[in-house]
Amino acid sequence: MINVQKINKYFGDFRALNDISFEIGKGEIVGFLGQNGAGKTTLMRILTSYYLATSGKVEIDGQDIVKHSLLCRKKIGYLPENPPLYMNLTVRDYLKYSASLKDVEIKKQKLQVDKVIDSCSLKDVQNKNISILSKGYKQRVGIAQSIINDPQVLILDEPTIGLDPLQILQVRQLIKRIEDKRTVIISTHILSEIEQIARRVLVIKNGEILIDRPISALLDEGHLLRFVFVIKGDKAAIEKVFSSSKEIIKESFESTNDVHSVKVQVLQDWTSHNELIQKIMREKAELVEIRKLKPSLEEVFINRVERE
Amino acid sequence: MGKILAIIKKELLVYFKSPIAYIVLIITISVFNTFFFTIIDQNKESTLRDIFLVMEFLFMFIIPLLTMKVFSEEKFSGTIEFLMTTPTSNTQIVLGKYIGSVLFFTAIIIFTFVYYLIIEIFGAPDRLEVFTGYLGIWLEGAFFIAVGVLTSSWTRNQIVSAITSYVILFLLYFSMIYVKYLGGISYDIVHYLNTSAHLKNFAQGSVSVSDIVYYLSGILLCLLLTRVSIENRI
Repeated sequence: MINVQKINKYFGDFRALNDISFEIGKGEIVGFLGQNGAGKTTLMRILTSYYLATSGKVEIDGQDIVKHSLLCRKKIGYLPENPPLYMNLTVRDYLKYSASLKDVEIKKQKLQVDKVIDSCSLKDVQNKNISILSKGYKQRVGIAQSIINDPQVLILDEPTIGLDPLQILQVRQLIKRIEDKRTVIISTHILSEIEQIARRVLVIKNGEILIDRPISALLDEGHLLRFVFVIKGDKAAIEKVFSSSKEIIKESFESTNDVHSVKVQVLQDWTSHNELIQKIMREKAELVEIRKLKPSLEEVFINRVERE
Repeated sequence: MGKILAIIKKELLVYFKSPIAYIVLIITISVFNTFFFTIIDQNKESTLRDIFLVMEFLFMFIIPLLTMKVFSEEKFSGTIEFLMTTPTSNTQIVLGKYIGSVLFFTAIIIFTFVYYLIIEIFGAPDRLEVFTGYLGIWLEGAFFIAVGVLTSSWTRNQIVSAITSYVILFLLYFSMIYVKYLGGISYDIVHYLNTSAHLKNFAQGSVSVSDIVYYLSGILLCLLLTRVSIENRI
């Protein structure tokens, strides 16, 4: 659906994007990750044809975004970082205006506006001026305009930025509802959000793609493994066992009566687990449970970005 | 055409929802009324000739206030990103915004028709002169709007947009002062570029192709430059 080949973007002498290439298939949901200034927004602006790439090629559904700009734009719904809203218009007027500009047939415009008002839960505020709406509602209006023409590709730049936790949840649920059968690109700083919404992640650093992998594969390739040991026995003896091993990094030690929960980090190629268990046994402690902790995307991301 | 109409409708909706439109409308009509009755009282003639020249002078101050937000506000608020990523061509965007402003300006002009009715009732005006005068002031206003739309596409700051418009319009209006004592081709060129020289002809009931071409080519040039300006986003 989206084919990006060797995209470069310069702002004067500054190289914002450096030889970016990737493909995104139909119906795929991809998260763009990266620190501020990494080049995510610039890349999104090129995909929506707001910016022209200095060199390279972008194709949307097989059509060149420069040669067939209007045709490509028809297929894209875009929510920029700051929702592009006309504060003097009512929600309904704004969505009608969006529908007109996005080639929704005149006969179907009312129906389509009603549909997005319904799917974005904007019924209560549809006749209110956008200027008086809360940030959460404004964000929903921004998302509503991005899907007004049922685009095949949906590009959302930081859709939950600046929202309170409840609003984040509402917007996240909304994105889940509308992602059906569309190709979705979502950029955010909230890594748990990407983990819940996207299937694949593209990490951008200094204008280059650092990682392009399915999230599940990325989580499995974590550099460090984490375990929780639940042990019944003498606290001092158990602390001694975990302190004596140089391969283990102790994260936390919590005790309730004589049951202790020890969270540790080990390298992926750690092999001396049997030795550790024997040491625990020697201290006449009872090993109640060993649990492997799945690393969060946040941990993997920070780990990889720091390593690079 | 549908998209141009949608943009025109939205522009007018935004104009009439903003207080500045009503303030401009009220101030303009009040000032015009004052000048109309003063001029009629002094000249004791049933003609709008001098009124048109006063209108031209005042529109030079008023029109940049109307056009300063056309693109500047979209750039400032970020809605330009929405506009430019919809499947709408740059020509449609420029035309929609331009025609929207011209229609608002036409509404102001329509309010002044009452002056014609007054002199028609109490005198015997030269109807052709009134018609050409209105045509001239409308064309000149449309040209001033095109200049305002162009300067608005250059910046995200509405004040900078208005000031740039004032500089261009003042240069066009007062240009004859600078070449008063010159002759030859430079005088001819500046004389042709001077806006008031063209309006004077319309106000006196004489319309030439050269005057119409002046306004139309000025409008076209400004709109083409606006299109280029919004195309070059970086």
